[in-house]
Amino acid sequence: MTVLPELGLVRSGDLDKVLAAVDYEHAPYAGGTELVPAMGLGLRRPAAIVDLKRVEALKGIEVDADAGTVTVGAAVTHRRLSDHPGVRERLPTLAAAASRVGNARVRSTGTVGGNLCFAEPRSDLGCVLVALGAMAEVRSARGARTLSIDELIVGAFETSLAEDELLIAVTVPFEPAGTSYWKLQSYERPTLGVALVATDSQWEVTVGAATERPTRAVIAAGDAAGLAAFVDSLELSDDMTGPSDYKRSVLRARLQRALGVEL
Amino acid sequence: MTSPVATSTVIRVRVNGRDVEALVPVRLTVAELLRERLGLTGTKVSCEMQVCGACTVLVDGNPVSSCTALACDLDGTEVLTVEGLAQGRDLHPVQEAFMAANALQCGFCTPGFVMMAVALLDTCPAASADEIREWMDGNLCRCTGYAPIETAVTLAAARTDDGSPEDDQ
Repeated sequence: MTVLPELGLVRSGDLDKVLAAVDYEHAPYAGGTELVPAMGLGLRRPAAIVDLKRVEALKGIEVDADAGTVTVGAAVTHRRLSDHPGVRERLPTLAAAASRVGNARVRSTGTVGGNLCFAEPRSDLGCVLVALGAMAEVRSARGARTLSIDELIVGAFETSLAEDELLIAVTVPFEPAGTSYWKLQSYERPTLGVALVATDSQWEVTVGAATERPTRAVIAAGDAAGLAAFVDSLELSDDMTGPSDYKRSVLRARLQRALGVEL
Repeated sequence: MTSPVATSTVIRVRVNGRDVEALVPVRLTVAELLRERLGLTGTKVSCEMQVCGACTVLVDGNPVSSCTALACDLDGTEVLTVEGLAQGRDLHPVQEAFMAANALQCGFCTPGFVMMAVALLDTCPAASADEIREWMDGNLCRCTGYAPIETAVTLAAARTDDGSPEDDQ
């Protein structure tokens, strides 16, 4: 068994105390589904972990009917997200995607914030949240700011968070009709994810998992040439789940089928 | 942070119905606590990546990968391992079903599969075929004996749903 190096623990139920502790050497820690294996492999060596699980302010799910949004705390687990009646009603595609993340153990411990902030490209939630135009609330001891998930995830395993910043919550607009998420998956993570928000006037296409970060395009409905150009422009990864040509042909087939268009 | 940060903490946890109080280093995993300190070696460790499920235990009823969960998080919780399923000589219905369906070959993955099945049936006693696959597909069997495992969980679900007495409560 891998033995982890000595590790400190900062634990508080007070968000301000947690924010005062977080920096590169003091890593935010909730489900541990990404951080603990990364520490085991020696990819991440914080001096201490800062436990977020006792901070109630990070664990809420609030449906705001007036604003038309659902706000999900960063320390909400995938399982709580997918089981929540308000999320299932207002964000059915997100709830379904969360119910298929990883495996039942990952879903019962892994959190929305951990999933996004680890920025593993092969993520379902990142793709769906970019497609839905979700916003991230970020705080540090210095202040607060709001940015889109598209701005939060800047590359593979890379976010735009400063070392002392913490993702607090994600606010997601209610899903419009015509929203869907489909993925190709052979192993524990998706090979290709495709989120669509298709209306009579436009197609919003977000591609994830095979790209370094979720990549979104807005194309006029019926513009097959525009859609084909977007598919051709994507830099898709080449890995053990398949070469980029294979992923591109699967993507093309999926879009043809979902949008009823010849590519 | 200017104040020194603790590298160990005291946990009070109930493991298979027995109260345990221990001073644990923060770096200690749940699997290390169970196997090396409490002698509960039924829980196996394999991939250490949350992929194979061999190390599955239940923490407050939730399935957890004990190889990558930290023991410092167990304070105030109840842990159930494969050793805690049988009541004396009476096996748990899931264990009975695994025996009846011959759902094991080398047996290394079996404790993880059994614990995941227990978590599933505690959550949805009348689990459908789809739910069984959805919950069990995060466990790997290198002997590839998946069909009998699926049969066993289906059998256990049918027995549980019949209203047979639950003996793990």
